[in-house]
Amino acid sequence: MIYHTLLFSLAVIAAIWAVMARNLLTSAIMLALVSVCASLLLFNFNAPWAAVFELSVCAGLITVLFISGVSLIRASTSTTAEKMTYLKVLPLALGIFGIAAWFYLPPFFAELAGWKYTAAEAGPIGKVLWELRRPDLLGQIAMLAAGVFVIKSVFPKRRTVK
Amino acid sequence: MNFFAFDWYFIALLLFIGFYAMLASSSIIRQLIGLEIVSKGVMLAVISAGALTNNLQLAQAIVITMIVIEVVVVAAGLALLVKNHRLSGLADIWKLNGLKG
Repeated sequence: MIYHTLLFSLAVIAAIWAVMARNLLTSAIMLALVSVCASLLLFNFNAPWAAVFELSVCAGLITVLFISGVSLIRASTSTTAEKMTYLKVLPLALGIFGIAAWFYLPPFFAELAGWKYTAAEAGPIGKVLWELRRPDLLGQIAMLAAGVFVIKSVFPKRRTVK
Repeated sequence: MNFFAFDWYFIALLLFIGFYAMLASSSIIRQLIGLEIVSKGVMLAVISAGALTNNLQLAQAIVITMIVIEVVVVAAGLALLVKNHRLSGLADIWKLNGLKG
């Protein structure tokens, strides 16, 4: 329980840091830390497959994408000219929200958790993924193809001008 | 206090941070980072609900789908950012209309 709460607190702190950091590279790295915390939490929830995906894809691939994106636009002045005033208010806003939510949300969530219907055991993850959720896999493949097409259409092949 | 209620309180904080980043910032990268934080919160909520209802395998299958979609969304967003930066030298969400064909 203490380990769980510590991980959640670390994720929240890293998320605040990711949003408030002036340097976008720091933001990307802090986002990776949020992913690592989420992944450890998933391991703690006894969901190892989701945790492995989260660790390899979100903490790995997405961080690489972000860092390459940031370094491609690094020379730009527009990112530094961004207004940081609103972002600096984040801890205050989060504090107000956190204190207000502390009185209302946990009782509501406890009531919500009381309405649960315990499901029948669905079998191992392989059976669920390949048999029960097979249309999802089709959707995933379509989504990946859509991503490739988006990037292909955003960066078309340069034509040589005569 | 209920264990899950406590978890979901932290998830609500994560969602607040993500939505705040998306509302307050005009940088495309920070918008995407806010989106990522929101999706982390949602992912944890799905897994937590799966653990509550003894349906963790199905929750994991859904989370795996969600991770794939997340990667595609981030890649498409960053591609738009780089294209916009090449055309107009800006990374501002309000200046995306420079991409108008």
